[in-house]
Amino acid sequence: MDPEKILSSIDLLAKIETVCKRRFSAENDQNECYVFVIDSLKADNFKRLRAFKGKSSLNTYLYALINSLVIDFRRKQYGRRRIPAGVAKLGKWAETVYRFVCWQKFTFDDAYDFLKIDGLYTGSYVQFIKEIEPIKKVPCRENPAFQSIDETRESALKNIDDEGPNPLEFLIQKLDRKKRIKAIKVIREMTAALPQNDQLLVRLVYGSDQSVSAAAKVIGLPASTAGKRLKNLLTKYREKLLAEGIREP
Amino acid sequence: MGKWMNKTINPSVVPESEDHILIEDLARLAEGTADAAERQQLIGHLNRCRRCYQILQETLKDVSAETTLQPGSVPWWKTRMFYVLAASIVLVILIGGPLAIKHWTQRSPVILASLDLDQALKDILLEDDALKWEKKERVNRLVAALQQRGLEIKDLNLVLLSKPYYQKKSLFGPKEVLQIRIENKVAYLEVKEMDN
Repeated sequence: MDPEKILSSIDLLAKIETVCKRRFSAENDQNECYVFVIDSLKADNFKRLRAFKGKSSLNTYLYALINSLVIDFRRKQYGRRRIPAGVAKLGKWAETVYRFVCWQKFTFDDAYDFLKIDGLYTGSYVQFIKEIEPIKKVPCRENPAFQSIDETRESALKNIDDEGPNPLEFLIQKLDRKKRIKAIKVIREMTAALPQNDQLLVRLVYGSDQSVSAAAKVIGLPASTAGKRLKNLLTKYREKLLAEGIREP
Repeated sequence: MGKWMNKTINPSVVPESEDHILIEDLARLAEGTADAAERQQLIGHLNRCRRCYQILQETLKDVSAETTLQPGSVPWWKTRMFYVLAASIVLVILIGGPLAIKHWTQRSPVILASLDLDQALKDILLEDDALKWEKKERVNRLVAALQQRGLEIKDLNLVLLSKPYYQKKSLFGPKEVLQIRIENKVAYLEVKEMDN
């Protein structure tokens, strides 16, 4: 394998361009991402490309490698954000709200729900609305160049209204706030208690909208078996949710 | 990707102290080529580590997107070539269709003429009383006479006379003209008297 040849191939350059474009909406970021990935691949005499041992296909390896470098680029570009002092003094709940709303571009309502799910806020919604007033006054870099450091967030926003074949998401969306918070807690606890393979299967299919066949490959199952397993898992989720008094409205 | 499920169940921790999964191992997981024992170990890490999970799931998406775009993996009716061909056919029909229709449906032009009925024409008309000329020689003589008088016709299949023509006895009779209408190689003849 000649790393120089690989790096100069149109195929690899097209891959880098595609991934950077998919991960960043701003053209400037896309270009900087492209340069960063190429420089990183050249670094240390093509160390990252030379690390390829031929255990997987080169194509998949290159995509995984580019994706890891894109995550590095995002962190380098935006670094670790600091919570403004005016927010930090209000407490952990306020920091979380700021993180959700300013950095990850959720709504304050969403932030309230997440706080409740994580048990970070005990007050009522009315109380919450009053208490977030100081947070709203804190400057936030809400501009086109602003990027969340949460790698999952950008793609999540694009598909926020896409119900798709995701029955759990669909259910959560239809519930009122109180039940939604309860349902999310139930789903989170249930998922964490599942065997590792099932956990990853549910995460990939219902948390990241991967196809069942792609997720099945990862956990080493035929797609049909993984499909049946998901069906059984959904039945368990439903039974548990019903037991907690949560049903589809 | 749903925001609720994504936030609810995806790994949210990036273990700083822990070694992450090697890129090639993530690639093998994505391809489903890791062996069982190794896979279990890797899956355990993936359920806890946001970074590794992120690389895996983005890689799955990229590989899947690339596979979808490869020509061999799509049905023939979804290929670019098919659409190019279909577009070409539509263009040919749009451009050539009207021309073809015009060609097939266009009737031969109608020729209208009005000629002074001179002696040569009278001779042809007086040849017999038939209103429907079926003798090819007579028809050809008419064609030749008309050509001589400037009508652009090649041949005629049939000649129909509106009424039998008779020589006028009076030398000072009204002027006569032969009105001709030729359509689809059929000539319609009528002699009319014109006021001097």
